Amino acid sequence: MSILADLPISLIVLCSGLGLVLIGLWGMLTQRNMIRMIVGFSLTDTGVHMVMVSIGYVTGGTAPIINDAVPMADAVNRVVDPVPSALVLTAIVIGLGVTAVMLSYAVRIYKARKTLMIDECTESKW
Amino acid sequence: MVSSFFSDILLHPLGIYVLALGAGFLIPLFDRAHRGSAVLVFFAALAGMVAIAGLNLLAIVNGAPSIDIETAGIAPPFSINLRFGLLEGGFVLAVNTAALLAAWHCLPALRQHASALLLFLIMVMGINGMIMTRDLFNLFIFIEITSIATYALIGMERTGSVLAAGFKYIIATSVATTFFLLGTIFIYYQVGTLNIDDIIVHADLIQGPIGFIATLFVLTSLLIELKPYPANGWGLDVYETAHSGIASLISVGVSAGVFFAIYKVLPLMDSYLTSIAFIGGATFLVSNIIGLKQDNARRLLGYSSIGQMGLLTLALALLLQLEASSQLVLVVGGLFINHMLAKAGLFWLAGIIDRSQLKDWCAIAQRPGLLLLLGIMMAALIGLPPFPGFWAKWQLVMILAEGGQYLWIAVVLIGSLLEAAYLFRWFSHARGTDNNSMGDSSTDEVPPQAVVSLAQQLPVAIATLLLFVIGYVMALAMNIETPGMFLPLLAGFALWLIDGIRGRLKALAMLLVVGAGGYWLTNDLDGINRLFSYLLVGGGLLVSIAVMYRNDDRRGFYPLLAVLLLSLAVLLRAKTSLEFFFGWELMTLSSYLLVTLGRNGVKPALNYLLFSLASAYFILAGFALAYAASGSLLLSDLGNSGDSIGLIFSLLAIGFVIKMGGFGVHIWLPGAYAEADDDFTALLSAVVSKAGIFGLVLIAANLGVQSDIGLDPTYVLGWIGILTATFGALMAVFQEDIKRMVAYSSMGQLGYIVTGIALMSHLGWVSALYMTVNHFLFKGILFLSIAGIVLRTNERMMYKMGGLIKNMPFTFVFTMIAIIAMSGVPPLTGFGGKWMLFNALMDKGWYFIAAFAFFSSAVAFLYMFRLLQTVFLGQRKLEHAQLREAPAILLAPQFIMIAAIMVISAYPRLLLDPLSAAIDPWISNTLVWEGFALQTQYGYWNAPMIMAVVGGVWMVPLIILLLVSLTMKIQKVEQFNIVYAAERPHRPEDTHFAYNFFAHYDRAIGFLVRPRATAFWNAAVEWSHTLASSLRVFYNGNGQTYALFILMYFVAMVLFNGGLGS
Repeated sequence: MSILADLPISLIVLCSGLGLVLIGLWGMLTQRNMIRMIVGFSLTDTGVHMVMVSIGYVTGGTAPIINDAVPMADAVNRVVDPVPSALVLTAIVIGLGVTAVMLSYAVRIYKARKTLMIDECTESKW
Repeated sequence: MVSSFFSDILLHPLGIYVLALGAGFLIPLFDRAHRGSAVLVFFAALAGMVAIAGLNLLAIVNGAPSIDIETAGIAPPFSINLRFGLLEGGFVLAVNTAALLAAWHCLPALRQHASALLLFLIMVMGINGMIMTRDLFNLFIFIEITSIATYALIGMERTGSVLAAGFKYIIATSVATTFFLLGTIFIYYQVGTLNIDDIIVHADLIQGPIGFIATLFVLTSLLIELKPYPANGWGLDVYETAHSGIASLISVGVSAGVFFAIYKVLPLMDSYLTSIAFIGGATFLVSNIIGLKQDNARRLLGYSSIGQMGLLTLALALLLQLEASSQLVLVVGGLFINHMLAKAGLFWLAGIIDRSQLKDWCAIAQRPGLLLLLGIMMAALIGLPPFPGFWAKWQLVMILAEGGQYLWIAVVLIGSLLEAAYLFRWFSHARGTDNNSMGDSSTDEVPPQAVVSLAQQLPVAIATLLLFVIGYVMALAMNIETPGMFLPLLAGFALWLIDGIRGRLKALAMLLVVGAGGYWLTNDLDGINRLFSYLLVGGGLLVSIAVMYRNDDRRGFYPLLAVLLLSLAVLLRAKTSLEFFFGWELMTLSSYLLVTLGRNGVKPALNYLLFSLASAYFILAGFALAYAASGSLLLSDLGNSGDSIGLIFSLLAIGFVIKMGGFGVHIWLPGAYAEADDDFTALLSAVVSKAGIFGLVLIAANLGVQSDIGLDPTYVLGWIGILTATFGALMAVFQEDIKRMVAYSSMGQLGYIVTGIALMSHLGWVSALYMTVNHFLFKGILFLSIAGIVLRTNERMMYKMGGLIKNMPFTFVFTMIAIIAMSGVPPLTGFGGKWMLFNALMDKGWYFIAAFAFFSSAVAFLYMFRLLQTVFLGQRKLEHAQLREAPAILLAPQFIMIAAIMVISAYPRLLLDPLSAAIDPWISNTLVWEGFALQTQYGYWNAPMIMAVVGGVWMVPLIILLLVSLTMKIQKVEQFNIVYAAERPHRPEDTHFAYNFFAHYDRAIGFLVRPRATAFWNAAVEWSHTLASSLRVFYNGNGQTYALFILMYFVAMVLFNGGLGS
């Protein structure tokens, strides 16, 4: 597979990213405390960001600035793909927003019912 | 210059985002000064968003090219672009309009926090972006913008349950969008672009396990956002608890955005279309099954909402699979707009009425306006005419039939029926179970009624109006004869406007409107349709004269009656199956609502509606098969259906037989007939039931004659008819309630007609049509007589009556003549019908059926005798001594019908010749006349002679008896000289001879009429509830379980589509 041959460093990032996604999901599914679930979500989110960064990386590539050092014709092979980096920035901002809303929910739920356990919030069902 | 600035800059679709964001900055600013001014800015922005969408869409509809919005000064695919084309424009306009109405609905909640106003705008803008963007990552951004705004708006109300539901919602949707982001980035890895159009062009680059996972992640996470079963508990919780305005916007707005996103990426997903269809279909079916068991109004709306999105998904996937994408606008667009307006309207109603339990909805039983809105929303949601859902569902079923997707047709129709069951169960609760329309001495307290201001109803009313308008536009698009088809509704609306005036004036207005409208609709008909128009429209008017015997308010009765009678006319003039089905469904809906107006009519009416809808769906399936086989919607082309003729005939016949209360599916009939208003029962039995006969004649003429297949469905139909006749008569014998008895009798008499049609011979059809006319006459008289009796005695139990001959001599005579006409003894009309039927049965060689017909005719004598004996003869109750004769306006139509019976009895050729001529195009005339005598190989029937002979024979004993009574001293039995023998009365009724009148027969043949059919259908209800309980075990309320289901959904999608190896 091309990932194995060409991108050893990014492979490490990719694998740890996917690992973080799984750890985060495990946390969200097993931890009943909402704060811990939010931590799980944060881990998953970070994992996804790492995956994204790893996708755009070119081994030995340089910053995607086209100038005398990196002529236009050569750019495709020598620079890191700037798009995933840009995407990651946006995704981080969005992840931040979602985490903030989650945390404020946790605070309000605690205020309303003095518990943070998700399995005590099951009155809507069937 | 100014105008071009106005049109190019301000009205550009980009203005939607400018308005939302700009107002977002302005709202906090204005809020500093005054909250009201912030609200003003908010509404100005929303209205602007609607206007921009509307004007641009209008331009595109008029031929302008679709608008591409490019960003960053670089052409796509290197920059993000948005598109505003026909479909985008339609969705954006719909969403923004719904948002404007929803904003009005939840203004009291929104204006408490200025930030809520802002979030609302951002949410709507996010949905607009989801619809318009052509960039995959940008789609992710808009999904998240919408989500974050939604999360915050859900949390606007800070009770524990809302917050808990909101948290589950956040967890579930963030898991889903995480996978969307992963999928997006993998697609980018393989294709090197994020532009959706560019990705589609280079779709061949998406390959291998990574490509498989990438597309599957994108698709599945979008599907999850639409809340597929069983990974949707989190959505239900929010629908149940969040503010109704926000819930409505999630249901119709966010879902619309996600749905459109799926539509955009579908070109990449060709290989998954089957999975998508399966997910949609399963979600639609299962949600509607589970809905049956739900008692919470808001959660029920959640199930319905999820189900509708499932239906939309199903329709989208199947249409693409069948390469019918030209129909997308009509089918998917129609279903979408229908769901949107109706579901949002229901959420708003649920919000302003604010009763969580369905049974508490009797709080609007005395609020006709709210009931009307509720009923319209529900009718629209299940696809009754004239709403957009009706046309869309029809078209969907036709396309599915063309593509041979019969299983999916079954799913769509069964799901719709289930949805109708729980929606109209809800409506029944709202309608209240006890009407007391007769002003009985009711001790029940009226529950406290909901207080709702007109301003609160405004968004719902606008949604209703839009449903009608869009329904009409779609009708135009379907090329049907619109002015005529919409006349019943128009007439109903006009009469509803004057519903405030006095009772009899309204009735008069109704008669005039129906008379004029009915004449206009039916005067150019010919053949058998013309005959039926005399019966259904003319006869309907004749019986309707009797409605003037009541002068009370009867809110809604007259408009609905006009709709009903005119929809019968629409049915008769239908040239295509679509027009026929339109009239049929309109008839079903209006007659259902009329039955609910009866004293205890609400529950039986629900049964009536559900069986009628089942009947309608059989008919729809039959028409769809015929369309698939013949490629034509014309009723006259039904016969060109090749091999499937037998199946089509069976489906249609089942539909019509259900509507006539055939054996086994009759259980709706006695309740509906008994509990409907007394004058309306006469119409139901005498007139409305004939619509089913018309349908049977129609298919027998167009389908039956030409078919020649193994198991003859007409033979089965013959048996069904005669079993209906036999059991109808048997069950009538053992009734105590006069209306129930005559109702069963009506069912039985219709059975003979079914058998007559099934004979497929000239004599059989003549006898069937002759009996149809006869049935109209005698059942019209009987039920109107009963209306008079019930009016005077306020009783329906026969043992509580007696001796009424003295008070109501005219009613007695009319009833007696009607009974003789029904019974089939000479000399009146019934004899001719039976005589021809027996002859036709013998001709055909159906001897067993003939034997049954003989038996059931004999049984019929028992209940007819009881009717006369216990009601009119015997002892009169003390409290009935002062009763007067029934009102003249009730007697007048009866008198006309008696006259008709007499004329037809004496000169049957007056009726038989036109009947015979109408049948002639299909089966040539076999009637042989010699003078006044009709000849067959078994004998002859000379009606005038029989009339004379019987009259003579009857006069002799009458004269003798009169002489005897004048000369002899006759001692009359007085009220109290009753002697008990050894029997001890257990209950007061036991002392009355008329109670349990046929106890001795009950011991002998009673086992035949134990309510097995009722038991069966009750068991069916039990089963479906058990099924619903086991299907909803997934919704345990735990957010983590819901998240787990979502993960498992991804795994299941991977496995279902062949795993990573594919």
